[in-house]
Amino acid sequence: RGFASQTDGESRLTRVLREKFPRASAIKVVDISGGCGAMYEIHIESEEFREKRTVQQHRMVNQALSEEIKHMHGLRIFTSAPKP
Amino acid sequence: MRAAVRTGWRIGAAAASALRGRAGRPLSQAAGEGSGTEGGSGESGGGGGGGGSGSREAVERLVREHPVVVFMKGSPAQPLCGFSNAVVQILRLHGVEDYRAHDVLQDPDLRQGIKDYSNWPTIPQVYLNGEFVGGCDILLQMHQNGDLVEELKKLGIRSALLDAEKDQEKK
Repeated sequence: RGFASQTDGESRLTRVLREKFPRASAIKVVDISGGCGAMYEIHIESEEFREKRTVQQHRMVNQALSEEIKHMHGLRIFTSAPKP
Repeated sequence: MRAAVRTGWRIGAAAASALRGRAGRPLSQAAGEGSGTEGGSGESGGGGGGGGSGSREAVERLVREHPVVVFMKGSPAQPLCGFSNAVVQILRLHGVEDYRAHDVLQDPDLRQGIKDYSNWPTIPQVYLNGEFVGGCDILLQMHQNGDLVEELKKLGIRSALLDAEKDQEKK
């Protein structure tokens, strides 16, 4: 799917994540609620996740999106550090 | 990476203990699920004292009552959410049928209280030996990378998948 066809929600979340994770090498946000903005899938690869346990990595994302999450029904998070 | 996840789990336990040990300390966020509940930590009566089902004390009792405790939507016999169902299925694959499951849809105070307790905005939530492990995505990852078999072993639970492997080797 091309960048031009992102939903408003996907764009906004991507923007917030870019701000909160300046060292991210890859960010992908997908609306998995059919465009309703109810549920998202978040993929982030960032140096900021290195040596952190998965729960901690996910907490960082929860923290970054705490305002937006209040309006979601659910979200899936996939985090990783770039391969060295 | 495996070792980091395993040992990291233990460090997470220490952090969780620090959170539990301070009754009345406000937690930073209590994000709702977009289901109409307002955000804000003051909503469920403070969450620190009292005997309400969402209080820290009540939740603490629940997460400690069994080695494996799950907070979900619906029940293991009838999950009412795909992510809660995924947790149930993963546990079933490992032969873990004896665990405590709490349906947060039946108790709004518990629904909010468990999120305050773990500082985690979503359901399902899995607790092993009283420690918050994560939600569906994390349990799935632990299942895929073998960490879940290890963590169950630490609880004295032998994963059914180990026996399945053994049968395969015999053939």
